[in-house]
Amino acid sequence: MGSGRRVWRFLTSPVLAMVLLLWIGVWSIIGSFVPQSDLDPMGVALWAAANPALETVAGTLGLHEAFTSPLFIVPGLFLALCTAACAWQRAGVARRRARSLRDARSDVEPGDETSADFEIVCDPVLDTAAIVERSATTLERLGISSRKGERFVSAVSPWWSVWGTAVFHWALVALIVLIAGGSLARASGQMGVAVKQVKPDRPESYGQLTSGPLHSWDLVDRWIRVDAFDIDYVTGDLHRGPTPTVTVLDGEGNVLASQLVYPNNTLKQGALTIYPVDYGLSATLAMVDDAGAEMQRTTQLVDFAEGNPDGTAPITPLGLAGPDGVLGYQVIVSVPLDERPEGLVACTPEVPAAHVVIVDTGGAAVVDEVIAVDEGVALPTGGELRLLGVDYYARLQMVDDPSIPLLYLAGTISMIGLGVATLARQMVLKAWTLESPEGTRLLVRMRLWRIHSTSRSEIEDELRRALGAAEGSRS
Amino acid sequence: MTFEIIMTWVTLLLYAGATAVSAIGVVFSKEKFIRTAVVVATAGLAAQTASLGLRWVRVGHGPYLGFYEVSAALVLFVVATFVVVASRQPRLASAGIGVMPVALLLLGGAMFAQTTEVPMTGKLTSFWLAIHVVFANLAFGAFVISFGLAIAYVVRERSKTGEWARRFGRLPAQDALENLTVSYVLVGFFFWGIMIVTGAIWANEAWGRYWGWDPVETWSLIVWIIYAVYLHLRYTLKWGGERLAWVAICAMPLSLFTLIGIPAVFDTTHAGIGGLGKDL
Repeated sequence: MGSGRRVWRFLTSPVLAMVLLLWIGVWSIIGSFVPQSDLDPMGVALWAAANPALETVAGTLGLHEAFTSPLFIVPGLFLALCTAACAWQRAGVARRRARSLRDARSDVEPGDETSADFEIVCDPVLDTAAIVERSATTLERLGISSRKGERFVSAVSPWWSVWGTAVFHWALVALIVLIAGGSLARASGQMGVAVKQVKPDRPESYGQLTSGPLHSWDLVDRWIRVDAFDIDYVTGDLHRGPTPTVTVLDGEGNVLASQLVYPNNTLKQGALTIYPVDYGLSATLAMVDDAGAEMQRTTQLVDFAEGNPDGTAPITPLGLAGPDGVLGYQVIVSVPLDERPEGLVACTPEVPAAHVVIVDTGGAAVVDEVIAVDEGVALPTGGELRLLGVDYYARLQMVDDPSIPLLYLAGTISMIGLGVATLARQMVLKAWTLESPEGTRLLVRMRLWRIHSTSRSEIEDELRRALGAAEGSRS
Repeated sequence: MTFEIIMTWVTLLLYAGATAVSAIGVVFSKEKFIRTAVVVATAGLAAQTASLGLRWVRVGHGPYLGFYEVSAALVLFVVATFVVVASRQPRLASAGIGVMPVALLLLGGAMFAQTTEVPMTGKLTSFWLAIHVVFANLAFGAFVISFGLAIAYVVRERSKTGEWARRFGRLPAQDALENLTVSYVLVGFFFWGIMIVTGAIWANEAWGRYWGWDPVETWSLIVWIIYAVYLHLRYTLKWGGERLAWVAICAMPLSLFTLIGIPAVFDTTHAGIGGLGKDL
């Protein structure tokens, strides 16, 4: 046997498919009981401290990254290969069966004695018409619809019924390939955009970003803008929570898509999908020179922070360079929240203000002031930092994944294939009468590839009973 | 509210009655009792439909949220599947001895767990919720029927004296019974697959990822793989008989655990399930 043939036999071995399925199943069960570092990093640390002996095993096997571990990925890809080989085989079987079904449908002539699987010598009181009628009724009772002729009964499935399992397996292969390919081409990250702010869809605009090696940023030419923010958007009597209105613009500033974005109402534009994740506040600041001319404008995003007396803290502090261009200070801007008896209120304060703290490289605060809108604070490098306004910012989850529509398509096709494999019968049953000296005989030929409502022996037994089988019947 | 509670108790009593009558029918080979059990189960189904319908009107959403609603909906689909199967194929009515106790215990457990209503939130408001949950219920209904048929198969197979074979005499022959078990596993596998696919689509719409290895997602895949193993054992390795029936018997509790047990053991984003005593 050639090595190619050996590999093919190995790949199409049902035992191998079973072993791989079991491996993936058992690995997933174990993985579900061990905290996963990407979902629950704190849980991993606590589990490791509580189970030092098990942690040695879990750490060695990579169980805290169970679903990205080579022990999971490699068998998964191997299973895809086996499924592809299996799907190829199944397609061949389906082709042959479909041909048989087409031939059986077009062939209205009864067969000869040699082509029958079994024969029944019928009760002599039954004539041909009664035998045909009783046979059809018996089959109907067993859940098989049949077609009656003058001397025959036939039940032949449509040609497409045999393609379900092949289509399902091919679609599974496509799903695995798309999931793997999608993870390489996918870019996913979080971007904070203040109201009225526009940001380019570039890596530097993201706070967190995961980008696959096949994702090309050169092909991305668009901008993201948040036009408005509703702290509690209500529609259909339901509170949808903090809801930004997001606009996607092309490189020339043309609007590509614009809508309110809340859970179950994501913004889709080509391969890009935008989801709301969280929100915070933003302080728009301008640096003005001693003559009062605006030199630079910036938007500082601040998150709600329970431990901070103001109730907010900047995502990243601003750097302030001296005239020589050397970074000399850090500007920490927070927005003091309104205080109610129940605590600090996580929304824009009634009288917007910014708390500006400027620290030098040694960590000493040189400025610590709260300023209202249109007020400024003197900078140690000269000039003034002025507060222009306070508003919300939306933290958006941006996913650029061209595989998603294809995944949906493959998922749909796989379910159609599985539906056909599940619900459609795959069978040929032909029964015809033949006159002979010992009486009228019913000859039956059956190819039951997939039928669940009954079985071969049950069909034979029921037909014998219905036709009053006499001596001389044979299986 | 009072009428709703009364109907829930009536349901429980009728399901208990159907379980008892079905058991008497099978043990004493009384065909009339087996048929009566289906009628009693149908009456229980009507009462439960009324009870859940009233609750639906009262809380403003279908039975999707919280441990009680999820469990009760599963029971409704299990009993509905059984009643439809037993009506269309009366010879399968004996399977009630395996199916009705599952429905009875599940509903009883749900009634004595937390039954407070969980409000619909913006995150859950999606037409995918209904599709996802309905297919989960349909899949579970099919798995429980396969479980009942597999139990009947094993009991009859193990009856050395032939006594249980006589008691389950109206059931189809063993090979046909095995085929039927496979068919319900296949139907459940199909519906479970749709549940996974629709769940993935919904997760992508709501959470920004179609798969996140959340415990419910992971266990859904595990159950699907276990049933895939069952189908491969049957179709490619040509397994049959008692050992195949045992796979169907062992797989069903795992599907139940996935649908209602996960929040009791793991932290999950599928908070809508509620869990044993846990709600949103």
